[in-house]
Amino acid sequence: MPKSLLSIQGVTKNFAEVEALHEINLEIYSGEIVGLVGSNGAGKTTLLRLMAGVYKPSSGTVNLSNGEPVTTMRHELGVVPESTGLYSRLTAWENIRYHSRMHGIPDSVSWARTEKFAEHLDMKESLSRHTKGFSRGMKQKTALLRALAHGPNILLLDEPTAGLDITSARTVRALVRQLRDEGGTVIYSTHQLAEAQQVCDRIVIIHNGEIRADGSPLTLLEDSKTESLEEAYVSLTQDQARTRKEDNDRESAFTGWWRRFFTPKTPQTTREVMESE
Amino acid sequence: MSEGSFLRVRAIAKKEVVEFTRDWRTIIAIIVIPLLMFPLLFILFPILLESETAELDALELSIVIQTDGLPENLAENISLSSMDYSIELLPNLTSLSEPGQDLERVRNSSTDAVLRFESNDDVWGYAILHLSTSERSNEARNRLLNTLSEWESSETRERIEQGGLDVNTTLDPLRWDGEISSGDVATSGEQSGMILSMFIPLVLAIWTYSSAIQPSIDMTAGERERGTLEALLCLPCTRMELLFGKWLAVATITGVGVLLQVFGLLFAIGYLASSSSFIGVPQLSVISICLIVLSIMLFAVMVVAFELALAMRSHSVKEAGSILAPALMLILFPALFTQVINLDGIEGFWFAIPVVNILLALRELLMNRVITEHVLIWGISSIVYASLAAYYASRQFNREDIVTSLS
Repeated sequence: MPKSLLSIQGVTKNFAEVEALHEINLEIYSGEIVGLVGSNGAGKTTLLRLMAGVYKPSSGTVNLSNGEPVTTMRHELGVVPESTGLYSRLTAWENIRYHSRMHGIPDSVSWARTEKFAEHLDMKESLSRHTKGFSRGMKQKTALLRALAHGPNILLLDEPTAGLDITSARTVRALVRQLRDEGGTVIYSTHQLAEAQQVCDRIVIIHNGEIRADGSPLTLLEDSKTESLEEAYVSLTQDQARTRKEDNDRESAFTGWWRRFFTPKTPQTTREVMESE
Repeated sequence: MSEGSFLRVRAIAKKEVVEFTRDWRTIIAIIVIPLLMFPLLFILFPILLESETAELDALELSIVIQTDGLPENLAENISLSSMDYSIELLPNLTSLSEPGQDLERVRNSSTDAVLRFESNDDVWGYAILHLSTSERSNEARNRLLNTLSEWESSETRERIEQGGLDVNTTLDPLRWDGEISSGDVATSGEQSGMILSMFIPLVLAIWTYSSAIQPSIDMTAGERERGTLEALLCLPCTRMELLFGKWLAVATITGVGVLLQVFGLLFAIGYLASSSSFIGVPQLSVISICLIVLSIMLFAVMVVAFELALAMRSHSVKEAGSILAPALMLILFPALFTQVINLDGIEGFWFAIPVVNILLALRELLMNRVITEHVLIWGISSIVYASLAAYYASRQFNREDIVTSLS
């Protein structure tokens, strides 16, 4: 039986009146790649932020295997947020070094790890370059190197291949699998079911803030009695996806009125469009 | 603070300063402009003005004199003032100041000015037509007024002599005996402190606030907008460490800017002091200097924390800018108001009003006045305000929604 690294028990997360996550129970075990799959707004990023300790649960707990909350053991985690979060006026290595120093890792140690993974990602030559001119793929790879440089036990990746070209996406997926083979644990958020099937040992389907399924691709197929994962996903998420609360709904009466006052009426017919020209 | 915590705060502050200064526009904003602003204003501007004045002095002007009889010595004086003139008869007008038929030729610069001069028994009446929006016309008017004034003085003396009176005792019956400056018992150092106290608090207050705007926004709303804040919040540092590191970076950048500006101001004043007796070196005790440094530090803690908090509340750089720029008024008005408060016998409560307290303290200290009661009031109240600002900033940094952005 693999060792549990991260335990999420009865976690609910509310933002004002919106319940982003409802009663989430999840165990993350050592040496597996767990895919969090769901549509936009399903709650994947919120769940990852809870795991990273950026958000506090409204109820329930997110603890590491030793029972400590993740906020006290952040050095166990390596995080690649969706936005990558690189500083454009720093070089790739400076970005990596900054995070490693915050983890209390000596530069020599983080450099050795960075060098090793940079070879895999074909990034060694780019470490001394400012990230301002980097492509989306290079930024993603740099963020990945930054998350790995301090030697975390658990890697949290939020849509790591979103917007990447085929070659870059392939390289990232290969590295993720390699990390798993070396004993690492990866939590991989994606809305691409095919990608999750290709990379992950275990898939957790999230829909409208709830976990609808949790198991290996094969188990999911068996449980849902469908021919493909896509069909399984559709059958599990048949209820309409909730819409995200727009900013307009959250604004005060005054700012709402102000904005509406300066927003012309949207035309409803071609005739109205022509008249508004 | 533990060693790990100290190292993280240092790493945050160092990274922020390095990243901020890599932008060449920042170097211009925090080093070049503060350093050159006052020297340019105090040294180059007067030089520019002097050259403009010399240019005006060298102008040959042409005027028209309308008169029923111009005294000979006045005509001579006008010629000596580099003005060519032609004489015409006085037009028939109810008042000499009425432009009448001459309006057009003054407006279209056919002539630079028209002097109307009329003898009326023992007195003369006069008026000058000129175009105030023209430099040449203004210069012609000034030269005419000077010439007329000199002529009037000589005419006055002549008439006093003709009346059998002594000119000097009649015109100057009350006189200051000795050097006027010897009557001021304040030392030159104290006088300089007084003059500096009118500049330095204002400069410090406004520049501290305005130079902290850009880094505050960049390090908070900017990070939020660029998505770098989320990665930072996943690191093993507390939000207080994050706030402190960023505060330290903004305070360092602002401090450098303010120091350079004060240096530029002192250099300009030093230049003026060497070329005129307008100002000297202020006389300050060690205690005054220490208290000046303390007051500036407390002010910086308060202002920078306040700005970081406001910027952190904002969802985007644009929103932060539209809040922080008008908030400058909160500093500007008290700063201007403080300049006119009389420090002699000032009530203690003034030293408890936010912003006003530090500015008044700086004014007093620059005049080398260390009044224990005032020092205690501004010291304690400033610590309270700085703590409140820091607490407010920490509350903003602890908000969960700081990872979300409008963009």
